[in-house]
Amino acid sequence: MLSRVANSLFWMARNIERAENNASVLQVQLINMLEADDAEVLDRDWEEVLEIVVSLAEYQSQHPHFKTDEIIHYVAFADKNYNSLINCMTYARENARATRDMIPERLWEVLNKFYLELPAIRRNDFTLQEIQDFLKTITMTSMTAQGVVESSMIRGVPYSFIKIGKWLERAEKTARILNVICEKARKEKQGSVNHHYYWLSALRLVNGYDAYIKEHPPTMDAEHVLQFIIEEDRFPRSIRYCMDHVMETINKLEKGEINHYSERLFQMLETIQQEVISFKSNDMSMEELMDFLNHFQNRCIQIGQIFSETYYLVEPVEIK
Amino acid sequence: MLNNYQTAEYFDEMMKDTEKPKPHYERFYQMLRQFSIDNLHEKNETAQLSFLRQGITFTVYNESVGTERTMPFDFVPIIIPSHNWKKIERGMKQRVQALNHFLEDVYGDQEIIKDGIIPRDLVEQNPYYYKEQSEGLNIPHNNHIFLAGIDLIRDENGEYRVLEDNLRNPSGMSYVFQNRYVMRQVYPELFGEHSIHTLEHQLSELHQALIAHVPENSKNPLHPCAVLLTPGSYNSAYYDHVFLAQQMGIELVEGRDLIVRDDVVYMKTIRGLKRVDIIYRRIDDDFLDPDAFDPRSVLGVRGLLKAYQKGNVSILNGIGNGVADDKAMYAFVPDMIRYYLNEDPIIPNVQTYFLRNPEHQDYVLNNLDKLVVKNVGASGGYDMLIGPHADEQEIEMFRKKIIEKPSQYIAQPTIKLSRAPAFQGGRFYPCHVDLRVFVMTGSKSHVLPGGLSRVALKEGSLVVNSSQGGGGKDTWVLHEGGNHHA
Repeated sequence: MLSRVANSLFWMARNIERAENNASVLQVQLINMLEADDAEVLDRDWEEVLEIVVSLAEYQSQHPHFKTDEIIHYVAFADKNYNSLINCMTYARENARATRDMIPERLWEVLNKFYLELPAIRRNDFTLQEIQDFLKTITMTSMTAQGVVESSMIRGVPYSFIKIGKWLERAEKTARILNVICEKARKEKQGSVNHHYYWLSALRLVNGYDAYIKEHPPTMDAEHVLQFIIEEDRFPRSIRYCMDHVMETINKLEKGEINHYSERLFQMLETIQQEVISFKSNDMSMEELMDFLNHFQNRCIQIGQIFSETYYLVEPVEIK
Repeated sequence: MLNNYQTAEYFDEMMKDTEKPKPHYERFYQMLRQFSIDNLHEKNETAQLSFLRQGITFTVYNESVGTERTMPFDFVPIIIPSHNWKKIERGMKQRVQALNHFLEDVYGDQEIIKDGIIPRDLVEQNPYYYKEQSEGLNIPHNNHIFLAGIDLIRDENGEYRVLEDNLRNPSGMSYVFQNRYVMRQVYPELFGEHSIHTLEHQLSELHQALIAHVPENSKNPLHPCAVLLTPGSYNSAYYDHVFLAQQMGIELVEGRDLIVRDDVVYMKTIRGLKRVDIIYRRIDDDFLDPDAFDPRSVLGVRGLLKAYQKGNVSILNGIGNGVADDKAMYAFVPDMIRYYLNEDPIIPNVQTYFLRNPEHQDYVLNNLDKLVVKNVGASGGYDMLIGPHADEQEIEMFRKKIIEKPSQYIAQPTIKLSRAPAFQGGRFYPCHVDLRVFVMTGSKSHVLPGGLSRVALKEGSLVVNSSQGGGGKDTWVLHEGGNHHA
């Protein structure tokens, strides 16, 4: 397969996953804010959301004050926000368009449909209901796209690149969500009621509340939640699960063999797997936990780079 | 159903007069009468949406902003009886064969010039004549024209005539298939008991023709690696490229995916470099290789021409085909057929006046209001005067242009292009149509049954180009005996 095509498939999947995750974070916040008791709490919540879905610093450099409508607009629609929902979905469509000969027709149609319906979305003076509907459409589009991939694609090279893009994006986002929540917990008073609230929102933000509650009714302690989000290998949004699947997919792609060109990639993946497996939340301080999460996010960036170099997704290509 | 439908002084594909269809449309006509106008309107909407949803679009550039548009589809098919089609088929093979001889000749010994059939300067002054790049090459099957798109029209007597040859990058084949697909999805009833040529195997014919062009030095002549080279997803015909690559099972590559090393072309894959044997390029000559053509081109591949000249890669269609399909050379094609094949043209041309010929020029300048004037280098309906539809100002503008650069223009009589009913806005009305016929050639020639029927949907308009509001129709070629007489 062409490197350019592999790169487009990888980024198509990442962009879809990113849009879905960010939409879901915004969805959670739109509900949360209804119960926020004062302006200060509301602002703090928005800070968190911005730190998760874009970059808080970048937003603040352009917008000195927090206004709910402005933030929603920025996260959902703003052209200048590289990671706005509309941008992610549009990049995904562009990537799909550049690989139309590789992907199922239906996958293209799903992304194209979203794009064609965009002009009907009001980007200013919107109601909350309209935004909720828009977020739902994103979620449904992402899920339908994944459904088409799962139900109709040959388990070949293009499929692998799509899946790797998705798992990497998800692992990174999960780590980022935890990181932001930990940061908040560290800054604020360590009251037990508050703790409960942090871990609850962490679970909601990673879309894992329902799954967690089935395993651990009705407790909400830090250790369990962290174990669940970081190392639960049956929870499809945990860091462990995502990284295991990246490893498994690359293994299949390489038919279980390690060649000189893929050696670095395998080494790095094994290192990360070890680091995740040996993570023990019970004897960690909040600082240590945050170090771990920061370290893991850096690892995600590294693995992305090594992955790209291994499959020539980045220039230059040298003859061997 | 077709109340108030006026065939007027035009040849109508479907109707004999307001009341009665032609025999080969009889069944279709009966079928149509079973629908209500509302029903047809609804189906029409469904059909248009289907194109949009599938992203079967072309990009229109306006002040550098690209908009994706669909080509409007009209469901009244063009039905061609078997005997008509057979004649077209023979005529197209004959024409493409002669044109290929011509290309082989002008990049070889130039006999046709020496024998005084075609003026030397018409060849050598032609901006698309790439002598330096293409002279004396030994290419597979001596074939320059892998895929040709020949545009046919019918005059007021229903006689088919060639309007234009497209030997460089004829687009639109994907629409032939998609028009049929949508037609079958949305209007299955209309097929009724018609016995028509299927399109099922056509893409495998195209693939066969493609991989017949194995270059001399291929390392893998039994399974050559073929690719389709596209300018990219912003090109107006991108969908066409996607469709053809996908259906033929070949990689769709951009210039940046290819690299030339030691005069061999490779594509950049996730496993390193892979040797390429055959390139079906949908990039114009000028942009193909910045070393050999326009140095500013970023679409092409450095060193490609040299690889081609050395026989390490095949490039289809051949380089320099533009010398054979411009509007001035067009007038000589009947002479080429006589010269190379010793046959009379089966499908005639439209009468063409050369404006560099003083006698012709005189006649044309005195009759601008009756004639069509075309720039020999332009396509897509641009820089064109349609005399009977033009105002005084336009006519004067063209008069100036002609006197300034006579060799740049030709003129033709305004042909009463045939018409067929089209359904728009809840009624049927007559629209001008033409037909692009696709001829594919590898070790032998094959004509795709039917082709792309284009229709000028703006009432009264003569321009069928999709960039100027033209639409498409399905084209049915009836099997022998499928021409049921009422």
